[in-house]
Amino acid sequence: MPMSGSAENPKKIETSEGGAIPKKDDIGLFTAWRVTFIGAISIIAALVYFKPEPYLAILKFLPDGIYVTFKVTIASIFLSLVFGLIAGLGRISQNIFINGIASLYVEVIRGIPLLVQLFYIYFALGKFVQLPAELCAIIAMSICYGAYMAEIFRAGIDAIPKGQTEAARSLGMTSSQTTKHVILPQAIKTILPPVGNEFIALLKDSSLVSILAVSDLLRRGREYASESFDYFETYTMVALIYLVITLILSKLVAIMEDKISDDG
Amino acid sequence: MTMDSKTLVHIENVSKFYGELKALDSVSLDIHDGETVVIIGPSGSGKSTLLRSINQLETIDAGKIIIDGVDIYDEATNINTVREEVGMVFQSFNVFPHKTVMENLNLAQTVVRKRTVEEATGISKKLLEKVGIFEKAGQYPGKLSGGQQQRVAIARALAMTPKVMLFDEPTSALDPEMIGEVLDVMTKLAKEGMTMVVVTHEMGFAREVADRIIFMDHGAIVEQGTPDEFFDHTENDRAKLFLSQIL
Repeated sequence: MPMSGSAENPKKIETSEGGAIPKKDDIGLFTAWRVTFIGAISIIAALVYFKPEPYLAILKFLPDGIYVTFKVTIASIFLSLVFGLIAGLGRISQNIFINGIASLYVEVIRGIPLLVQLFYIYFALGKFVQLPAELCAIIAMSICYGAYMAEIFRAGIDAIPKGQTEAARSLGMTSSQTTKHVILPQAIKTILPPVGNEFIALLKDSSLVSILAVSDLLRRGREYASESFDYFETYTMVALIYLVITLILSKLVAIMEDKISDDG
Repeated sequence: MTMDSKTLVHIENVSKFYGELKALDSVSLDIHDGETVVIIGPSGSGKSTLLRSINQLETIDAGKIIIDGVDIYDEATNINTVREEVGMVFQSFNVFPHKTVMENLNLAQTVVRKRTVEEATGISKKLLEKVGIFEKAGQYPGKLSGGQQQRVAIARALAMTPKVMLFDEPTSALDPEMIGEVLDVMTKLAKEGMTMVVVTHEMGFAREVADRIIFMDHGAIVEQGTPDEFFDHTENDRAKLFLSQIL
Protein backbone atom coordinates (compact mmCIF):
# COMPACT_ATOMS: atom_id res chain seq x y z
CA MET A 1 0.00 0.00 0.00
CA PRO A 2 1.24 3.52 -0.69
CA MET A 3 2.47 5.51 2.20
CA SER A 4 3.67 9.04 2.47
CA GLY A 5 5.87 11.27 4.55
CA SER A 6 7.90 9.63 7.26
CA ALA A 7 5.68 6.56 7.46
CA GLU A 8 7.53 4.88 4.62
CA ASN A 9 7.66 1.14 4.51
CA PRO A 10 11.16 -0.31 4.70
CA LYS A 11 12.26 -2.20 1.62
CA LYS A 12 11.40 -5.86 1.72
CA ILE A 13 14.19 -8.30 2.36
CA GLU A 14 14.60 -10.36 -0.81
CA THR A 15 16.09 -13.77 -0.31
CA SER A 16 14.69 -17.18 -1.08
CA GLU A 17 15.17 -20.38 0.82
CA GLY A 18 14.19 -22.41 -2.23
CA GLY A 19 11.05 -23.19 -4.13
CA ALA A 20 11.38 -20.16 -6.43
CA ILE A 21 8.46 -18.24 -4.94
CA PRO A 22 6.64 -16.65 -7.88
CA LYS A 23 6.40 -12.86 -7.70
CA LYS A 24 3.07 -11.15 -8.09
CA ASP A 25 4.08 -9.43 -11.32
CA ASP A 26 5.55 -12.65 -12.71
CA ILE A 27 2.58 -13.57 -14.88
CA GLY A 28 4.35 -15.39 -17.71
CA LEU A 29 3.24 -18.90 -18.56
CA PHE A 30 6.74 -20.37 -18.09
CA THR A 31 7.68 -19.17 -14.65
CA ALA A 32 10.42 -21.15 -12.90
CA TRP A 33 7.82 -22.33 -10.41
CA ARG A 34 5.43 -23.68 -13.06
CA VAL A 35 8.14 -25.38 -15.09
CA THR A 36 9.52 -27.12 -12.01
CA PHE A 37 6.15 -28.05 -10.57
CA ILE A 38 4.63 -29.41 -13.76
CA GLY A 39 7.95 -31.06 -14.62
CA ALA A 40 8.17 -32.88 -11.28
CA ILE A 41 4.54 -34.03 -11.42
CA SER A 42 4.97 -35.23 -15.03
CA ILE A 43 8.11 -37.21 -14.21
CA ILE A 44 6.39 -38.91 -11.26
CA ALA A 45 3.37 -39.72 -13.45
CA ALA A 46 5.54 -41.01 -16.29
CA LEU A 47 7.65 -43.21 -14.01
CA VAL A 48 4.59 -44.72 -12.36
CA TYR A 49 2.84 -45.19 -15.71
CA PHE A 50 5.69 -46.64 -17.72
CA LYS A 51 7.50 -48.52 -14.95
CA PRO A 52 4.89 -49.40 -12.31
CA GLU A 53 7.34 -51.95 -10.92
CA PRO A 54 8.93 -50.63 -8.70
CA TYR A 55 7.72 -46.99 -8.89
CA LEU A 56 4.04 -47.62 -8.13
CA ALA A 57 5.01 -49.83 -5.20
CA ILE A 58 7.29 -47.11 -3.87
CA LEU A 59 4.61 -44.47 -4.28
CA LYS A 60 2.16 -46.62 -2.33
CA PHE A 61 4.68 -47.16 0.45
CA LEU A 62 5.50 -43.47 1.05
CA PRO A 63 2.22 -41.71 2.07
CA ASP A 64 2.63 -42.67 5.75
CA GLY A 65 5.99 -40.90 5.66
CA ILE A 66 4.52 -37.86 3.92
CA TYR A 67 1.92 -37.66 6.67
CA VAL A 68 4.60 -37.72 9.39
CA THR A 69 6.69 -35.12 7.55
CA PHE A 70 3.63 -32.85 7.40
CA LYS A 71 2.83 -33.45 11.05
CA VAL A 72 6.35 -32.63 12.22
CA THR A 73 6.65 -29.62 9.91
CA ILE A 74 3.30 -28.03 10.76
CA ALA A 75 3.70 -28.56 14.51
CA SER A 76 7.23 -27.14 14.36
CA ILE A 77 6.11 -24.13 12.32
CA PHE A 78 3.48 -23.19 14.90
CA LEU A 79 5.74 -23.76 17.89
CA SER A 80 8.70 -21.96 16.32
CA LEU A 81 6.46 -18.96 15.57
CA VAL A 82 5.51 -18.84 19.24
CA PHE A 83 9.15 -19.17 20.38
CA GLY A 84 10.27 -16.70 17.75
CA LEU A 85 7.70 -14.07 18.74
CA ILE A 86 8.47 -14.37 22.44
CA ALA A 87 12.24 -14.29 21.90
CA GLY A 88 11.96 -11.54 19.28
CA LEU A 89 10.00 -9.33 21.69
CA GLY A 90 12.51 -10.28 24.39
CA ARG A 91 15.36 -9.08 22.18
CA ILE A 92 13.87 -5.58 21.94
CA SER A 93 12.80 -5.48 25.57
CA GLN A 94 14.23 -2.71 27.75
CA ASN A 95 14.36 -5.17 30.63
CA ILE A 96 18.00 -6.29 30.89
CA PHE A 97 17.07 -9.69 32.34
CA ILE A 98 14.51 -10.59 29.66
CA ASN A 99 16.73 -9.17 26.94
CA GLY A 100 19.69 -11.19 28.21
CA ILE A 101 17.81 -14.48 28.23
CA ALA A 102 16.37 -13.90 24.75
CA SER A 103 19.77 -12.92 23.33
CA LEU A 104 21.45 -15.92 24.93
CA TYR A 105 18.83 -18.25 23.47
CA VAL A 106 19.23 -16.81 19.98
CA GLU A 107 23.03 -16.83 20.04
CA VAL A 108 23.44 -20.31 21.53
CA ILE A 109 20.86 -22.03 19.36
CA ARG A 110 21.99 -20.42 16.13
CA GLY A 111 25.53 -21.50 16.87
CA ILE A 112 24.73 -25.22 17.11
CA PRO A 113 23.82 -27.32 14.06
CA LEU A 114 20.25 -28.61 13.99
CA LEU A 115 21.45 -32.20 13.66
CA VAL A 116 23.49 -31.84 16.85
CA GLN A 117 20.48 -30.33 18.63
CA LEU A 118 18.35 -33.27 17.54
CA PHE A 119 20.91 -35.72 18.89
CA TYR A 120 21.26 -33.72 22.06
CA ILE A 121 17.56 -33.59 22.89
CA TYR A 122 16.87 -37.21 21.97
CA PHE A 123 20.02 -39.03 23.05
CA ALA A 124 21.82 -36.77 25.54
CA LEU A 125 18.76 -35.52 27.42
CA GLY A 126 17.30 -38.99 26.97
CA LYS A 127 19.50 -39.92 29.88
CA PHE A 128 17.12 -37.97 32.15
CA VAL A 129 13.77 -38.01 30.35
CA GLN A 130 12.92 -40.33 27.52
CA LEU A 131 10.35 -38.64 25.33
CA PRO A 132 8.90 -40.12 22.13
CA ALA A 133 11.15 -39.55 19.13
CA GLU A 134 8.53 -37.59 17.24
CA LEU A 135 8.00 -35.20 20.12
CA CYS A 136 11.77 -34.73 20.50
CA ALA A 137 11.99 -33.98 16.81
CA ILE A 138 9.27 -31.31 17.04
CA ILE A 139 10.83 -29.75 20.14
CA ALA A 140 14.30 -29.59 18.61
CA MET A 141 13.07 -28.16 15.31
CA SER A 142 10.89 -25.57 17.07
CA ILE A 143 13.63 -24.40 19.40
CA CYS A 144 16.10 -24.16 16.53
CA TYR A 145 13.83 -22.36 14.08
CA GLY A 146 12.38 -20.20 16.87
CA ALA A 147 15.83 -18.65 17.26
CA TYR A 148 16.04 -17.76 13.57
CA MET A 149 12.49 -16.43 13.55
CA ALA A 150 13.24 -14.34 16.64
CA GLU A 151 15.84 -12.44 14.64
CA ILE A 152 13.35 -11.87 11.81
CA PHE A 153 10.71 -10.63 14.25
CA ARG A 154 13.24 -8.33 15.89
CA ALA A 155 14.33 -6.87 12.57
CA GLY A 156 10.73 -6.45 11.41
CA ILE A 157 9.72 -4.67 14.60
CA ASP A 158 12.86 -2.48 14.54
CA ALA A 159 11.93 -1.38 11.03
CA ILE A 160 8.70 0.31 12.20
CA PRO A 161 9.34 4.06 12.63
CA LYS A 162 9.75 5.19 16.24
CA GLY A 163 7.04 7.79 15.73
CA GLN A 164 4.42 5.03 15.59
CA THR A 165 5.28 3.94 19.12
CA GLU A 166 5.42 7.54 20.33
CA ALA A 167 2.01 8.31 18.84
CA ALA A 168 0.43 5.24 20.42
CA ARG A 169 2.06 5.85 23.81
CA SER A 170 1.09 9.53 23.78
CA LEU A 171 -2.55 8.41 23.41
CA GLY A 172 -2.19 6.58 26.72
CA MET A 173 -1.73 3.11 25.27
CA THR A 174 0.46 0.76 27.29
CA SER A 175 3.56 -0.83 25.87
CA SER A 176 1.78 -4.13 25.22
CA GLN A 177 -1.28 -2.44 23.70
CA THR A 178 1.08 -0.56 21.39
CA THR A 179 2.82 -3.76 20.35
CA LYS A 180 -0.44 -5.58 19.75
CA HIS A 181 -2.44 -2.91 17.93
CA VAL A 182 0.20 -0.75 16.25
CA ILE A 183 3.59 -2.44 15.88
CA LEU A 184 2.91 -6.11 15.13
CA PRO A 185 0.16 -5.58 12.53
CA GLN A 186 2.59 -3.37 10.58
CA ALA A 187 5.62 -5.58 11.16
CA ILE A 188 3.79 -8.64 9.78
CA LYS A 189 4.08 -7.26 6.25
CA THR A 190 7.86 -7.02 6.33
CA ILE A 191 8.26 -10.17 8.37
CA LEU A 192 6.16 -12.47 6.25
CA PRO A 193 8.49 -13.07 3.25
CA PRO A 194 11.53 -14.08 5.34
CA VAL A 195 9.32 -16.09 7.71
CA GLY A 196 7.82 -17.88 4.71
CA ASN A 197 11.35 -18.78 3.67
CA GLU A 198 11.95 -20.24 7.11
CA PHE A 199 8.83 -22.40 6.68
CA ILE A 200 10.26 -23.85 3.51
CA ALA A 201 13.70 -24.37 5.05
CA LEU A 202 12.05 -26.03 8.03
CA LEU A 203 10.11 -28.39 5.78
CA LYS A 204 13.32 -29.48 4.08
CA ASP A 205 15.27 -29.76 7.34
CA SER A 206 12.50 -31.96 8.73
CA SER A 207 14.19 -34.78 6.77
CA LEU A 208 16.91 -34.68 9.44
CA VAL A 209 14.50 -36.14 11.99
CA SER A 210 14.62 -39.44 10.14
CA ILE A 211 17.83 -40.03 12.06
CA LEU A 212 15.81 -40.29 15.32
CA ALA A 213 13.77 -43.24 14.04
CA VAL A 214 10.88 -40.93 13.15
CA SER A 215 9.14 -42.49 10.16
CA ASP A 216 9.02 -39.42 7.98
CA LEU A 217 9.19 -39.37 4.20
CA LEU A 218 12.95 -39.93 4.02
CA ARG A 219 12.89 -42.65 6.67
CA ARG A 220 10.11 -44.52 4.87
CA GLY A 221 12.14 -44.33 1.69
CA ARG A 222 15.18 -45.72 3.47
CA GLU A 223 13.10 -48.57 4.88
CA TYR A 224 11.81 -49.44 1.43
CA ALA A 225 15.20 -49.19 -0.25
CA SER A 226 17.03 -51.29 2.32
CA GLU A 227 14.58 -54.14 1.76
CA SER A 228 14.18 -53.93 -2.00
CA PHE A 229 17.68 -52.62 -2.83
CA ASP A 230 15.99 -50.20 -5.29
CA TYR A 231 18.07 -47.30 -3.99
CA PHE A 232 18.06 -45.27 -7.20
CA GLU A 233 14.33 -45.63 -7.82
CA THR A 234 13.32 -45.01 -4.20
CA TYR A 235 15.43 -41.91 -3.60
CA THR A 236 14.44 -40.50 -7.00
CA MET A 237 10.82 -40.76 -5.90
CA VAL A 238 11.58 -39.31 -2.45
CA ALA A 239 13.43 -36.36 -3.98
CA LEU A 240 10.60 -35.65 -6.44
CA ILE A 241 7.98 -35.78 -3.70
CA TYR A 242 10.00 -33.36 -1.51
CA LEU A 243 10.29 -31.06 -4.50
CA VAL A 244 6.53 -31.09 -5.12
CA ILE A 245 5.72 -30.46 -1.45
CA THR A 246 8.26 -27.61 -1.24
CA LEU A 247 6.82 -26.01 -4.36
CA ILE A 248 3.27 -26.23 -3.02
CA LEU A 249 4.34 -24.68 0.28
CA SER A 250 6.18 -21.87 -1.48
CA LYS A 251 3.05 -21.17 -3.50
CA LEU A 252 0.98 -21.02 -0.32
CA VAL A 253 3.46 -18.59 1.21
CA ALA A 254 3.28 -16.40 -1.90
CA ILE A 255 -0.53 -16.37 -1.79
CA MET A 256 -0.44 -15.46 1.88
CA GLU A 257 1.97 -12.58 1.17
CA ASP A 258 -0.27 -11.23 -1.57
CA LYS A 259 -3.29 -11.38 0.68
CA ILE A 260 -1.58 -9.53 3.49
CA SER A 261 -0.03 -6.83 1.31
CA ASP A 262 -3.42 -6.21 -0.34
CA ASP A 263 -5.17 -5.54 2.94
CA GLY A 264 -4.77 -1.81 3.47
CA MET B 1 -8.16 33.85 29.17
CA THR B 2 -7.31 35.51 32.43
CA MET B 3 -4.03 35.09 34.24
CA ASP B 4 -5.72 34.05 37.46
CA SER B 5 -7.37 30.99 35.91
CA LYS B 6 -6.30 27.54 37.05
CA THR B 7 -2.76 26.33 36.35
CA LEU B 8 -3.02 23.17 34.22
CA VAL B 9 0.65 22.46 33.59
CA HIS B 10 3.25 23.45 36.14
CA ILE B 11 6.88 23.10 35.09
CA GLU B 12 9.41 23.79 37.82
CA ASN B 13 13.20 24.01 37.45
CA VAL B 14 13.31 21.28 34.83
CA SER B 15 16.76 20.29 33.55
CA LYS B 16 17.88 17.65 31.11
CA PHE B 17 21.33 16.65 29.92
CA TYR B 18 22.54 14.79 26.86
CA GLY B 19 25.96 13.86 28.16
CA GLU B 20 27.73 17.22 28.55
CA LEU B 21 25.05 19.16 26.69
CA LYS B 22 22.45 20.91 28.77
CA ALA B 23 19.28 20.43 26.70
CA LEU B 24 17.06 22.05 29.32
CA ASP B 25 18.49 24.46 31.85
CA SER B 26 16.27 24.94 34.89
CA VAL B 27 13.11 25.75 32.98
CA SER B 28 10.03 26.95 34.87
CA LEU B 29 6.72 27.62 33.20
CA ASP B 30 3.03 27.64 34.15
CA ILE B 31 0.35 27.00 31.57
CA HIS B 32 -3.15 28.05 32.50
CA ASP B 33 -6.45 26.49 31.62
CA GLY B 34 -7.61 27.66 28.20
CA GLU B 35 -4.34 29.35 27.33
CA THR B 36 -2.47 29.04 24.03
CA VAL B 37 1.27 29.19 24.60
CA VAL B 38 3.58 29.27 21.59
CA ILE B 39 7.20 28.29 22.11
CA ILE B 40 9.67 29.62 19.59
CA GLY B 41 13.42 29.71 19.30
CA PRO B 42 16.33 28.63 17.12
CA SER B 43 16.81 24.91 16.38
CA GLY B 44 18.52 23.11 19.23
CA SER B 45 17.14 25.57 21.75
CA GLY B 46 15.34 22.81 23.66
CA LYS B 47 11.76 23.73 22.75
CA SER B 48 10.81 20.28 21.42
CA THR B 49 12.57 18.59 24.33
CA LEU B 50 10.57 20.71 26.77
CA LEU B 51 7.32 19.90 24.98
CA ARG B 52 8.10 16.17 24.86
CA SER B 53 8.98 16.10 28.54
CA ILE B 54 5.45 17.29 29.38
CA ASN B 55 4.05 13.85 28.46
CA GLN B 56 7.27 12.04 29.36
CA LEU B 57 8.30 11.09 25.83
CA GLU B 58 11.55 12.56 27.14
CA THR B 59 12.53 11.99 30.74
CA ILE B 60 14.00 14.83 32.78
CA ASP B 61 17.05 14.76 35.03
CA ALA B 62 15.91 17.37 37.54
CA GLY B 63 12.82 19.39 38.40
CA LYS B 64 9.13 18.75 38.55
CA ILE B 65 6.21 18.63 36.14
CA ILE B 66 2.67 18.70 37.52
CA ILE B 67 -0.31 18.25 35.21
CA ASP B 68 -3.70 19.08 36.67
CA GLY B 69 -2.43 18.35 40.16
CA VAL B 70 -0.61 15.12 39.27
CA ASP B 71 3.16 14.97 39.67
CA ILE B 72 4.06 12.98 36.55
CA TYR B 73 7.52 11.98 37.77
CA ASP B 74 6.19 10.65 41.07
CA GLU B 75 6.79 6.90 41.20
CA ALA B 76 3.18 6.29 42.20
CA THR B 77 1.91 8.01 39.04
CA ASN B 78 0.80 5.85 36.13
CA ILE B 79 2.10 7.75 33.12
CA ASN B 80 -0.46 6.12 30.81
CA THR B 81 -3.27 7.71 32.79
CA VAL B 82 -1.56 11.11 32.52
CA ARG B 83 -1.06 10.68 28.76
CA GLU B 84 -4.79 10.06 28.25
CA GLU B 85 -5.29 13.67 29.27
CA VAL B 86 -2.45 15.12 27.18
CA GLY B 87 -2.93 15.05 23.40
CA MET B 88 0.13 15.23 21.19
CA VAL B 89 0.55 16.13 17.53
CA PHE B 90 3.87 15.35 15.86
CA GLN B 91 5.84 16.92 13.04
CA SER B 92 5.73 13.60 11.13
CA PHE B 93 1.97 13.02 11.73
CA ASN B 94 2.54 9.41 12.87
CA VAL B 95 -0.91 8.28 11.83
CA PHE B 96 -1.31 4.50 11.86
CA PRO B 97 -0.91 3.43 8.20
CA HIS B 98 -2.57 0.01 8.69
CA LYS B 99 -5.79 1.51 9.99
CA THR B 100 -8.45 3.59 8.27
CA VAL B 101 -8.97 7.18 9.34
CA MET B 102 -11.94 6.14 11.46
CA GLU B 103 -9.97 3.27 13.04
CA ASN B 104 -7.12 5.68 13.79
CA LEU B 105 -9.53 7.80 15.82
CA ASN B 106 -11.31 4.86 17.45
CA LEU B 107 -8.30 2.78 18.54
CA ALA B 108 -7.23 4.52 21.74
CA GLN B 109 -10.82 5.50 22.54
CA THR B 110 -11.82 1.85 22.71
CA VAL B 111 -8.58 0.36 24.03
CA VAL B 112 -7.65 3.06 26.54
CA ARG B 113 -10.83 5.00 27.32
CA LYS B 114 -12.88 1.76 27.10
CA ARG B 115 -15.61 3.37 25.04
CA THR B 116 -17.81 1.11 22.94
CA VAL B 117 -17.23 1.21 19.19
CA GLU B 118 -20.57 3.01 18.72
CA GLU B 119 -19.68 5.67 21.28
CA ALA B 120 -16.21 6.11 19.81
CA THR B 121 -17.50 6.29 16.25
CA GLY B 122 -19.99 8.98 17.26
CA ILE B 123 -17.22 11.09 18.78
CA SER B 124 -14.89 10.43 15.84
CA LYS B 125 -17.49 11.49 13.29
CA LYS B 126 -17.98 14.85 14.99
CA LEU B 127 -14.22 15.43 15.15
CA LEU B 128 -13.64 14.46 11.53
CA GLU B 129 -16.32 16.95 10.58
CA LYS B 130 -14.64 19.57 12.72
CA VAL B 131 -11.25 19.11 11.04
CA GLY B 132 -12.94 18.92 7.63
CA ILE B 133 -12.14 15.36 6.50
CA PHE B 134 -15.37 13.57 7.27
CA GLU B 135 -15.53 12.14 3.74
CA LYS B 136 -12.17 10.39 4.25
CA ALA B 137 -13.32 8.31 7.25
CA GLY B 138 -13.05 4.98 5.43
CA GLN B 139 -9.73 5.71 3.68
CA TYR B 140 -6.26 4.54 4.64
CA PRO B 141 -3.82 7.37 5.52
CA GLY B 142 -1.57 6.43 2.57
CA LYS B 143 -4.22 7.83 0.25
CA LEU B 144 -4.30 11.19 2.05
CA SER B 145 -2.21 14.32 1.59
CA GLY B 146 0.15 15.46 4.35
CA GLY B 147 -2.24 18.18 5.45
CA GLN B 148 -5.10 15.70 5.65
CA GLN B 149 -2.96 13.21 7.59
CA GLN B 150 -2.02 15.89 10.09
CA ARG B 151 -5.68 16.80 10.55
CA VAL B 152 -6.40 13.10 11.20
CA ALA B 153 -3.63 13.15 13.80
CA ILE B 154 -5.16 16.21 15.48
CA ALA B 155 -8.62 14.62 15.50
CA ARG B 156 -7.13 11.39 16.86
CA ALA B 157 -5.60 13.26 19.79
CA LEU B 158 -8.81 15.24 20.40
CA ALA B 159 -10.86 12.03 20.43
CA MET B 160 -9.37 11.24 23.83
CA THR B 161 -10.95 14.50 25.12
CA PRO B 162 -7.61 15.69 26.51
CA LYS B 163 -7.20 18.59 28.92
CA VAL B 164 -4.21 19.96 27.06
CA MET B 165 -2.87 19.59 23.51
CA LEU B 166 0.83 19.62 22.63
CA PHE B 167 1.89 20.46 19.07
CA ASP B 168 5.49 19.65 18.08
CA GLU B 169 6.19 21.63 14.89
CA PRO B 170 2.93 20.39 13.35
CA THR B 171 3.42 22.14 10.00
CA SER B 172 7.18 21.71 9.47
CA ALA B 173 6.86 18.57 7.34
CA LEU B 174 4.07 19.99 5.17
CA ASP B 175 4.16 21.41 1.67
CA PRO B 176 3.51 25.17 1.86
CA GLU B 177 0.04 24.97 0.34
CA MET B 178 -1.12 22.61 3.11
CA ILE B 179 0.13 24.61 6.09
CA GLY B 180 -2.94 26.85 6.10
CA GLU B 181 -5.49 24.07 6.49
CA VAL B 182 -3.70 22.72 9.58
CA LEU B 183 -3.20 26.15 11.15
CA ASP B 184 -6.89 26.91 10.57
CA VAL B 185 -7.87 23.86 12.60
CA MET B 186 -5.47 24.86 15.37
CA THR B 187 -6.79 28.43 15.40
CA LYS B 188 -10.34 27.13 15.71
CA LEU B 189 -9.28 24.94 18.65
CA ALA B 190 -7.58 27.82 20.43
CA LYS B 191 -10.67 29.99 20.01
CA GLU B 192 -12.83 27.25 21.50
CA GLY B 193 -10.72 27.46 24.64
CA MET B 194 -8.53 24.37 24.30
CA THR B 195 -5.36 24.61 26.34
CA MET B 196 -2.51 24.40 23.82
CA VAL B 197 1.27 24.37 23.87
CA VAL B 198 2.64 24.85 20.37
CA VAL B 199 6.22 24.62 19.15
CA THR B 200 6.29 26.25 15.73
CA HIS B 201 8.16 28.40 13.26
CA GLU B 202 4.91 29.91 11.97
CA MET B 203 5.28 33.47 13.24
CA GLY B 204 1.98 34.58 11.72
CA PHE B 205 0.15 31.97 13.76
CA ALA B 206 2.11 32.87 16.88
CA ARG B 207 1.27 36.54 16.56
CA GLU B 208 -2.43 36.03 15.89
CA VAL B 209 -3.37 33.07 18.05
CA ALA B 210 -0.97 32.93 21.00
CA ASP B 211 -1.92 34.32 24.38
CA ARG B 212 1.73 34.17 25.33
CA ILE B 213 5.01 33.70 23.48
CA ILE B 214 7.87 31.81 25.10
CA PHE B 215 11.28 32.38 23.53
CA MET B 216 13.88 29.72 24.25
CA ASP B 217 17.61 29.61 23.55
CA HIS B 218 20.31 27.20 24.76
CA GLY B 219 17.81 25.20 26.80
CA ALA B 220 16.47 28.15 28.77
CA ILE B 221 13.51 30.51 28.58
CA VAL B 222 15.07 33.81 27.61
CA GLU B 223 12.03 35.97 27.13
CA GLN B 224 8.26 35.76 27.34
CA GLY B 225 5.28 37.98 26.87
CA THR B 226 2.17 38.68 24.82
CA PRO B 227 2.70 38.56 21.04
CA ASP B 228 2.55 42.33 20.97
CA GLU B 229 5.20 42.70 23.67
CA PHE B 230 7.44 40.05 22.15
CA PHE B 231 7.32 40.82 18.45
CA ASP B 232 7.27 44.59 18.66
CA HIS B 233 8.82 45.62 21.94
CA THR B 234 11.36 43.05 23.08
CA GLU B 235 14.52 44.44 24.63
CA ASN B 236 16.28 41.07 24.67
CA ASP B 237 19.27 40.91 22.30
CA ARG B 238 18.99 37.22 21.46
CA ALA B 239 15.25 37.54 20.80
CA LYS B 240 15.93 40.56 18.60
CA LEU B 241 18.57 38.65 16.66
CA PHE B 242 16.25 35.66 16.21
CA LEU B 243 13.40 37.87 15.02
CA SER B 244 15.63 39.71 12.58
CA GLN B 245 16.66 36.37 11.06
CA ILE B 246 13.21 34.87 10.82
CA LEU B 247 10.94 37.78 9.91
